[in-house]
Amino acid sequence: MRKAPGAVAAVILALALALGSKPLPAAAQAASQNIDELKKTAVKVFLDCDDCDLDFIKTEITFVNYVRDRLEAQVHVLITTQATGGGGQEYTLTFIGQNECRDLRDVQKYFSSKTDTEDETRRGLVKTLKLGLMSFVARTPIACRIAVDYALPEAGAAGLDRWRSWVFSLSGNGYFSGEESYMSRMVYGSFSANRITPRSKLKLGLSVDTSKQRYEIEDGTVTGSTSSLDMSGLYVKSLGEHWSAGAYVEIESSLYSNVDLGVTLAPALEFNFFPYSQSTRRQLRALYKLAVIPVKYREETVYGKLRETLFQESMSLSLDLREKLGTISLSVEASNYLHDFAKYRVDTFSVVNLRLYKGFSVFVIGGYSWIHDQLSLLGREPTYEEQLLRLRELPMHSNYFAAVGFQFQFGSIFTNVINPRFGSTGGGGLSIHMN
Amino acid sequence: MNPIKTRSIKAAALAVIITLALALPGSAQAPVPKPGSPPPPPLLKVFLDWPGTDIEAIRAEIPFVTFVPSLDEAQVRVAITPQGPPPEGHLRIELTGLGEFQGLDNTLTYAPGRDEKPGDVRKGVAALVRIGLLRYAAKTPVAKDLSVKFLDQTKPTSVNDEWNFWVFSLSGNAFLSGETQYRSGSYYSSVSANRTTPAFKVRTQAYGNWSNYWFDLGDGTAYTSKTHGYGGSALVVKSLGEHWSAGGYVEAESSTYGNLNLALSAAPALEYDVFPYSESTKRQLRILYRIGLTRTRYYVETVYFKTAETLLQEALSVAYEVVRPWGKASLQLQGSHFFHNVKFNRVELAGGLEFRIWRGLNLEVDGSYTRIRDQLALSGEGASLEDILLRQRQLATGYNYSFSVGFNFSFGSTKSNVVNPRFGNGGRSISISM
Repeated sequence: MRKAPGAVAAVILALALALGSKPLPAAAQAASQNIDELKKTAVKVFLDCDDCDLDFIKTEITFVNYVRDRLEAQVHVLITTQATGGGGQEYTLTFIGQNECRDLRDVQKYFSSKTDTEDETRRGLVKTLKLGLMSFVARTPIACRIAVDYALPEAGAAGLDRWRSWVFSLSGNGYFSGEESYMSRMVYGSFSANRITPRSKLKLGLSVDTSKQRYEIEDGTVTGSTSSLDMSGLYVKSLGEHWSAGAYVEIESSLYSNVDLGVTLAPALEFNFFPYSQSTRRQLRALYKLAVIPVKYREETVYGKLRETLFQESMSLSLDLREKLGTISLSVEASNYLHDFAKYRVDTFSVVNLRLYKGFSVFVIGGYSWIHDQLSLLGREPTYEEQLLRLRELPMHSNYFAAVGFQFQFGSIFTNVINPRFGSTGGGGLSIHMN
Repeated sequence: MNPIKTRSIKAAALAVIITLALALPGSAQAPVPKPGSPPPPPLLKVFLDWPGTDIEAIRAEIPFVTFVPSLDEAQVRVAITPQGPPPEGHLRIELTGLGEFQGLDNTLTYAPGRDEKPGDVRKGVAALVRIGLLRYAAKTPVAKDLSVKFLDQTKPTSVNDEWNFWVFSLSGNAFLSGETQYRSGSYYSSVSANRTTPAFKVRTQAYGNWSNYWFDLGDGTAYTSKTHGYGGSALVVKSLGEHWSAGGYVEAESSTYGNLNLALSAAPALEYDVFPYSESTKRQLRILYRIGLTRTRYYVETVYFKTAETLLQEALSVAYEVVRPWGKASLQLQGSHFFHNVKFNRVELAGGLEFRIWRGLNLEVDGSYTRIRDQLALSGEGASLEDILLRQRQLATGYNYSFSVGFNFSFGSTKSNVVNPRFGNGGRSISISM
């Protein structure tokens, strides 16, 4: 099949000799120049990535200068990710030329696999990043110190996929923590089977979780526990660049919501105002869903029911934009039960993260819900402990959360230096992670 | 035409070796498939428009593309035009994407040296063209066989920086949530001034945080609570070679959770990394010793009947971290004690492991255990039921632990790169921590 490793090595060596180590005429010139002088005119790069190992990138790619503000950069590298059918990530690297490189623009892709470790993923991303940066580097004098290695092509394309695009995944997690007067335990398990192709998407999942907290107080202990079970299925068929049709199935059981067993069956239709092929940068999707829900409660509800069958319709609109200026994500979903239109809810959600001026950025994350459809609410009063530990759903008309913040930075624009001494603790702050 | 004839034996021999080794296609011939193996992926097709140049020499310099004789079959056009008379004249290199690469263009300039020979100019131009073509080759199957290397090492501080590496930052955040019968709010604000260079690291900051809860208990009464913390810190670290660092911390803190009205401390420290610091993103084994003097004033008399005291404490920690293709691991052991009574001490062990056991089977373990014998600030008043349930006060304990374990096993078409964004890509999750 493959060539002997020795032969491959010899070829690589020959090429490295031919391409790399042999000083180029321009390089010969440059060698006499100070390399640190060349670095001063190297391309200024702004890396715009939420989930990248930036320290690793900066230690591996040293032929550019990194800046902390997008407006200072000659190239703004916007890195967006999307899940792939195999469970990995598609990294889309958009190279946006600015200032002296205004005329240059490029898009490169890198795919990580679900089975890749962190190190493999960060190395793969660095390789793609290097290739994409070359068009910009070629315009600076430091280009003469870049070598390209070309290993002999490996044999042929990948064979047939004997799993026919099916991906199975099983996971289990446990979290335990405590001290003398407090103990908390959480166990979570899930199984999924997915088949994702450009033409259709089938996702099946099962998850269970239980959690328990125990507090020692003066005259005894307070214990709280929750558990839930969830089975879900989704099938979607692609109908061109803008339309999709499909159906949801969900079976759930939840102590918090007082649901012993609830089944949801919902056909749905979606329209995307942007073509699906641009989804990593922009989407505006409208989804209509019609659901039939037979449900059995754990304890009698405030409406005196133990079981019922409900019909519900819902419409959602969500906008996701990822641009040079930042991220905007807005969504609104409204639903009502068909037997009583006054039983409705409206959920809104927004994430706005903008780099407004040089060094100034703001973010707003918020959600507000109007809730008039708590059909599963417990008939009795929850206990004081259930209330403080938030173990049971309480009657409400609305709920909200909001996080807002700003940051203003000035001073040195360069962020080339990695100094790991005494650790790299930033010390406090509000950190927000989104998926 | 046989250009090799005109060149030295050595160069010809090298060119032949490369040509043979790669089975480089001739002008427009398909690559010769090796018997018994599928054909290698097709190469990028380039049309070179440089009248009068030695195309064989260029081909030897750029082996990862095929040079085609006509524009019709090309994916990229490379046109090289002299700007002004040689020898001073620059060469303009225009790369134009064709077909699927439509719109991907670039213009480069090669400035020959004063006494560069035509052969050297050709090589210099070829080197720039080689780099310029990478963006197109990166979009073809050949990308996986290409790698880019920088031949030098540079100092990260080789830049023209008017601020001399100082970065100042001001930030404010608020997090609010609520329901009809519940509300909570957290606020955080900080200012910082940092300077990071390979020789020195300076971090200074001041911060404040405030949080409150409100519960409607339904019977016309409500439970409310407020907590806060303020502080400031400065860290200065001087590099002493690839393995040693020396520095010091100065800190001020006030916290309702910790019963600290005001704690002021100063602590010099010394660190040794068994591995060179330059490998820190791959592996580190750092040993840090710190000795500090703290002056503390408490909000409430402590269980040891103190309202203020001055304490001397020393701490030693060993931290190991490694990130490798198989996964990553970290282990940290830290011990500290007060000098006035060695019985007041604390030992903490923490570790984490992400390990690929076999193909799609990954294991993730994290844990920490702390043996606590130094809760000198503990309030003598005790805590209410609400303080306990909402975790608003430090409580007496001899230990605390946390442990998590997880595994994931995936199999099937895990190499599938299909992206299908229809009906969304699953739920959205946000986690906020302070």
